[in-house]
Amino acid sequence: MILNQIFDAINLGIVILDADLKIQSWNRWMEIHSGIEAGDVVGKPALESFPNLDNPRFIRSCKSVFSFGNFCFFSQKLHGYLFPFKSSSYVGSEFKYMQQSCAMGPLRDENNQIKCLFIYVQDVTEVAVYERKLVEMSMRDGLTGIYNRRFMDTKLNEEYFRHTRYSRAFSIIMFDIDKFKKVNDEYGHQCGDFILKSVSSRISASIRNIDFLFRYGGEEFCCILPETNLEGAELVAERFRTAIMEMENNFNGDVIKITISLGVADLTNDTASPGDLIQHADEALYRAKRGGRNRVESYSVNKK
Amino acid sequence: MDIEAQSTNHITDEELAILQEIMNIAFGQSASDLAEVIDTHVLLAVPFIKVMKVTELPGYIKEQVKEYKQISIVEQKFWGKFKGDALLVFSSGSGKALINLLQSDDRRGMEAGPIDILERETLMEVGNILIGACVGKLAELLRDVVTYTPPLVMVEKEYEEAISSGYYDHEKTAIVLKTDFRFESGNVSGFLFLVTSNESIKWLRDALQRFIEQYE
Repeated sequence: MILNQIFDAINLGIVILDADLKIQSWNRWMEIHSGIEAGDVVGKPALESFPNLDNPRFIRSCKSVFSFGNFCFFSQKLHGYLFPFKSSSYVGSEFKYMQQSCAMGPLRDENNQIKCLFIYVQDVTEVAVYERKLVEMSMRDGLTGIYNRRFMDTKLNEEYFRHTRYSRAFSIIMFDIDKFKKVNDEYGHQCGDFILKSVSSRISASIRNIDFLFRYGGEEFCCILPETNLEGAELVAERFRTAIMEMENNFNGDVIKITISLGVADLTNDTASPGDLIQHADEALYRAKRGGRNRVESYSVNKK
Repeated sequence: MDIEAQSTNHITDEELAILQEIMNIAFGQSASDLAEVIDTHVLLAVPFIKVMKVTELPGYIKEQVKEYKQISIVEQKFWGKFKGDALLVFSSGSGKALINLLQSDDRRGMEAGPIDILERETLMEVGNILIGACVGKLAELLRDVVTYTPPLVMVEKEYEEAISSGYYDHEKTAIVLKTDFRFESGNVSGFLFLVTSNESIKWLRDALQRFIEQYE
């Protein structure tokens, strides 16, 4: 009797499924957050009431509870949620559904036979929102708002691994603002910052949403282009170059024209690591600088 | 029976032999149930049992996994009357191989989320199933019921980073139950160590006795 009251009073969703995965119990918390009363789901197959549960991982977990008496854990990080409940109580939450941390385990009868499994559901939306904000902050450059060097290392590694694994085309562009020191010296560092911001936002606006733009350091930037071969990347680089060249930067009444130099490299047989890719693009960038600036150069083995 | 064996910290050779036999049965059953749960056959080697001081454990594990460049570890505590730590040590590359093995039926591929989170979670899931299968079967044969803590995972670390030796209580004895496993599909292998301390040993001796009495 007392335990039953806890079942409904606890701030945690509790669901009990039998061996056929039919819902046996559905506590008050589940009623509130799903908008479905116990009477309407008890006795029904869980996979029918919640079709998103009909996936190999969930079924594998149920089997392992019944076969081994296992406990299984569904973290918010990988799964987001088990039960799609509207996340209503969080102002401006960017999550469509309540973020949940869930676990399941066995329920035994008096002979220790596993007859049912329990699932508990914990609302972790608030934590997930904070975490997402922190992660976002750690990935961005404070001045320009584009991605920072730190995140670039992670992202480049990840994309490099993914593209080599699937043997897909992959390119990067390194670029650098020409004579940036002169801008700082002539117009002051605030103007330098202004130029960095305008270049970042101009380029950000012109890339696809699968591309990533990073501030590599100082006035140097890097753009990674998934699923793009060298020719494609050269076209993109050329577009960057003209866009920046044509840009009129108004700072305190002065119109400041700037240009950028760009180096392009793609995944080839002599790219053995993400670091190689950067080095190749850097070599091309260096040639662009030496060749008179405001130009695009590509890395190729024989042009060293 | 020698004098040492009568203290609760020690197990006789005969008891070790019984435990060995129970492990053989348990792991045999686990392997077939595992095949059903994760759709691939897992080869579990005949388990090996060794009693040692807890402080010798890090060195022992290191010796076993020295062939691996890097290791990933899933650790889970289990407690029933039989309680302890399960350490599942995977060879390097296992996490990524497991992703391919388990997620092929999913929409994952080029669009997947960050690979490190996926790898972590996959190791955690497989580790959880594998540990549960082995510990659960063993407990079942000994008529015990165990519960588990959520698994902890360390992905692709050097051995020194992964296992600290400062953690262990000098006074304690460990029964190390070791098996190596290999997934039939996918290049996945490693070791499972079940470490149980002397608190469990007294119960274990009684349970072993009860087990053998069924056949006498």
